[in-house]
Amino acid sequence: MVKVVVIRRVKPLPLGSVLIPAASIIIGILLSALILYVLAGTSPVLLFINVGRGFVSIETLRDFLMLTMLGAALVIAFSGAVWNIGEEGQITFGMIGAGYIALFTALSASPAAAKVAMIVLALILGGIWGLLAGALKAYVGIDEVASTLIMNYIAYYFLDYLVRGPWMGKHTYGYIRTDLIPATTQFTPIPVPGATITYEDIVLTVIVLAFSFFLLWKTALGVRIKVLGSNPDALRAAGVNVPMLITIALGISGALAGIVGAAQLAGYLHRISYPIESHTANLGYTAILVAWLAMLDLRAIPIAAYIIGSLDQAGRLLQTAGLGGIAVTNLFIGTTLLTFTVLRVFSEYSIRIIR
Amino acid sequence: MAIKPQTPSGVVPASETVLMVRGVTKRFPGVVALDKVNFDLLRGEVHALLGENGAGKSTLVKILYGIYSPDEGEIYVNGRKVTISSPSDALRNGLALVSQSPQLIDRLTVAENIILGLGKYGLISRVGMVKDFIIKASEDVGIKVDPDVEVWKLSYTQKQLVEILRAIILGAKVLMLDEAITFLPIREKRRFYKFLRKFADAGGSVILITHKIKEALDVADRITVLRLGKVVGTVKKEEVTIDDVRRMMFAERASQITYQRLPPSQPREEIALEVEKLWVKGDHGVFAVKGVNLKLRAGEVLGIAGIVGNGQKELVQAIMGLRKCVRGRIRIYGRDVTNVPTAKIRELGVGYIPDLPIRYGLSPDNNIEENIAMLPVIAKGIISWGRVRRLARELIEEFKIVTPSTKTPIKLLSGGNLMKVLVSRELMIATKLLIAYNPTRALDEATAILVRRIIKEKARSEGVAVLAVSEDLDEIFQISDTIAVMNSGRIVGVFPGDKADRDEVEKLMVM
Repeated sequence: MVKVVVIRRVKPLPLGSVLIPAASIIIGILLSALILYVLAGTSPVLLFINVGRGFVSIETLRDFLMLTMLGAALVIAFSGAVWNIGEEGQITFGMIGAGYIALFTALSASPAAAKVAMIVLALILGGIWGLLAGALKAYVGIDEVASTLIMNYIAYYFLDYLVRGPWMGKHTYGYIRTDLIPATTQFTPIPVPGATITYEDIVLTVIVLAFSFFLLWKTALGVRIKVLGSNPDALRAAGVNVPMLITIALGISGALAGIVGAAQLAGYLHRISYPIESHTANLGYTAILVAWLAMLDLRAIPIAAYIIGSLDQAGRLLQTAGLGGIAVTNLFIGTTLLTFTVLRVFSEYSIRIIR
Repeated sequence: MAIKPQTPSGVVPASETVLMVRGVTKRFPGVVALDKVNFDLLRGEVHALLGENGAGKSTLVKILYGIYSPDEGEIYVNGRKVTISSPSDALRNGLALVSQSPQLIDRLTVAENIILGLGKYGLISRVGMVKDFIIKASEDVGIKVDPDVEVWKLSYTQKQLVEILRAIILGAKVLMLDEAITFLPIREKRRFYKFLRKFADAGGSVILITHKIKEALDVADRITVLRLGKVVGTVKKEEVTIDDVRRMMFAERASQITYQRLPPSQPREEIALEVEKLWVKGDHGVFAVKGVNLKLRAGEVLGIAGIVGNGQKELVQAIMGLRKCVRGRIRIYGRDVTNVPTAKIRELGVGYIPDLPIRYGLSPDNNIEENIAMLPVIAKGIISWGRVRRLARELIEEFKIVTPSTKTPIKLLSGGNLMKVLVSRELMIATKLLIAYNPTRALDEATAILVRRIIKEKARSEGVAVLAVSEDLDEIFQISDTIAVMNSGRIVGVFPGDKADRDEVEKLMVM
C-alpha cells in the first residue's frame, strides 16, 4: 500500500518569515492575473494598473483601519492557538449593540455619551459572542473553528430578523432596512475628499492596537496566552486555569472585533440594510489572511492590513473599470492565501511517499 | 592524569580513523559554542563525549548531522573531506544521530517508520526484510518491539530502540547518541550499552553523549571532554580515574563533587504533607497508586526510591492536582487539597519538577523571562518585566545556565540547560513544599550536586519540606532524611536516611 506522509523538516527554510509573505503576495497576484486572462480575457496590464491604484487609493484607508483592528484581535486568539473564525459574527453583534443605542435610546441626544455607549455595548456583545464559543471549547470540548463559523450565521440571521422585524425603519421607501442612525451618533469624517474614514475610526484603531500590544507584551494574561499556543500542559502544571484562559482569549478577541461593528455602523454604513451579510463586507474573514500574512506578529499587522486592504480596494476599482466584480477581490485573496499556505508547508515540512 | 596530545591539524590520520573533525568553530549570538574543536573517531570504538551542560557536545553532533553548519573548520569521513549541510548528507556519509526525543511518526508502524526514506539512500527495501531485522535486533537487545505495531503504542524505551535500529538499517557506520538513553530505566540502559558494544565490535563506531561519568567509563573506549566549547583532552579509559575525568570536565569545581550524605536537616513538628490511603489510576485506567500513606514534616527531605513506572509519577501528579485521586486524602500544611485545582496548591508555595520536564514544566517556544512570568505565583496582572528579568539573571548566574540572553527561546538551549531553567525556577518558588520527580536528571554532575545542596539548604534553613522521587540511589541516599521505597504502587519500606541499607533498598525496589 502506498502511504504519503508529511515530515517536519529538521531545519526550516532560512528567511521564511520574510520571504514567504512577500512571495505569496507576488505569486498570488500573478496567479490571479493568469486566471483572469485565461478565463475572462482581462488584460494583465490593466489589471496591474488597477492593483497599483489600489495601493495608492485614499479609499483603502478604511479597510486598512478595520483590518488592523480585526487582525490584532485575531493575533490575540491565534497566539493561544485558539482559532477564532467568528469575527464576522462578533462584528455583527457589535453592530447590533451600537445600533440599539443609536436607534432606540435617548442617549442620542448627547453625542459623546452616545458614541461611547455604542462602542461599549458593541464591545460587550462581541465579547460575549466570543466568550460563548470559548466556553464551548474549554468546558465542553467543541472545536472552536466549527462553532465560531456556525455562530457567524446565527449572528447574521439574528440581525436579519431584527432588520426585517422590530428594527425595520419607518422611512425606508420599501427597502428592508433600518432608519439612518441619528446624525449625533454618526462618527465625524476626516475632511479629505474621497476619504471614507472618521476621526473616531483612527482613535479606535490606535487604542485597539495599543491595547493588543499591552495585553500580549505587558500582562501575565498575555504571556499565558502565548504559552497556551505553545504548551498548555506546562500551564496546567504551573497552576493556570487553562479552560478559563481559553475562554478569556476568545472573549477578548471577540470584544475587539465587536468594536469594528460599531465603527462600521457609526462611521460608514449609518444604517443596517438587508441582505445583512454585506454589512461586514467579509472583513472578518479577510482579517484571517491579515493575521497569517503578519505571521501572528502584532508589529506586522498594520503592514499586512495595508496590503490586503489595497488588494480589496483594487477589486473595487476593477469593478468600476468594468473588469470584474467583487469576486476579483476574493480571487486575489484566495490565490494569495493558497500560495501562502503551500509555501509554508514546504518551508516547514517535506513530503515523502512510502511504497 | 594522562591526556593524549591532539593530532595537529593537517596530519594524515591512521586508516582506522572513520571521522576526523578539524578546527571546527560555531558561534551563536553571544556564545562561542565550539572553539577550534579537533576530534577523532576510530573504527570499532565507543567514544564518550563528556562535558558540563552547555559545553558544546550537542552542538558538535548537530554539526556532524547537518543540523548546524560550522562557521569554520573541516570534517573528514574516512579521510575524505566532506560538507554536511543536511541530515541526508550525514546519512549518506554513514553518520546518524539519535537524540533525547524520538522523531518517529506516531501513526505509522515500526516497520513503516524504518522503511521511510530508505529508497533515498540506495537501499532495496522489502517490508519482510526489515521486519526480520527488527525482530532479531530486538531479541538481541532484550527489549521486545513488534514491527507491525503503531509507534504511538510503544514505550519510550522501545521508541529509542526503533530510532537506533533505523539508524543502523540506514547504513550508519557512526552512531551518535545525544543523551539518547539518558531517560531510560537503569536496567534497560544496561542492555543498550551491551548492544552498542556489539555494534562497535562489528566495526561500527559510537559517539556517546552522556552526563554520567561512571557510565562513560564503563562502556566507552575513549573519552573526549569539552569545556566551554573547547576540547580539554581525549583520554583512554584505562588511563584515567573518575576523578581525572571530573577535573577535566569541571576544573576547580570538581572538588565540590561528592556523594557523601549531605548534612541532615532538622525536621520540625509541623506536618507539611500528609498522604492518606491514596488510590490513583494510571493512564490505562488501572490503579497505579494503591493505598499509599506518607507523612512529611516541614524541613524534612523524603526520598522515594523506586524503578520508573511503579506509581511514582501518578503519586506526584495526584499531589499536584494534576491527576484524580480516586480514594484517600492529601493534606498540605493541614489543608485538604484532595482533588483541588493545581492553582490552589501552587498558591500554598509549592514547587514542582514534573516527570517529562520539558513537556509539563516549560514552554520551549518562549524565552526564560516568559517561562518565569507564566507562573501565577510570580506574575499577576501587569508584569514588571524589570523584576522578572532580574529573577532570570539570578537563576542564570547561580545555575550557570548557558544562554545568549534572557530573550532567547529556550528550545535553542541544550537539554541540560533547559532542565536548569526548570529546576532553578521551581526551587525559587518552593517556599513551603517541593515535589520533585528526578530533579537532577539531564544535569551534569557538578550542577546535580549543586541542586541537591540547594534542596537540602532550603529544607534546613527555610523549613521547606521536600518530596524527591528518584531512581538514582546516589541521589536518594545523598539528600534524604527519610527514604521510602515504592514498588507496584505501594510503599514497601521506610527507613531513616542515616540507617538505610543500600542493598536492602535495592532489593525492595526490584522485588
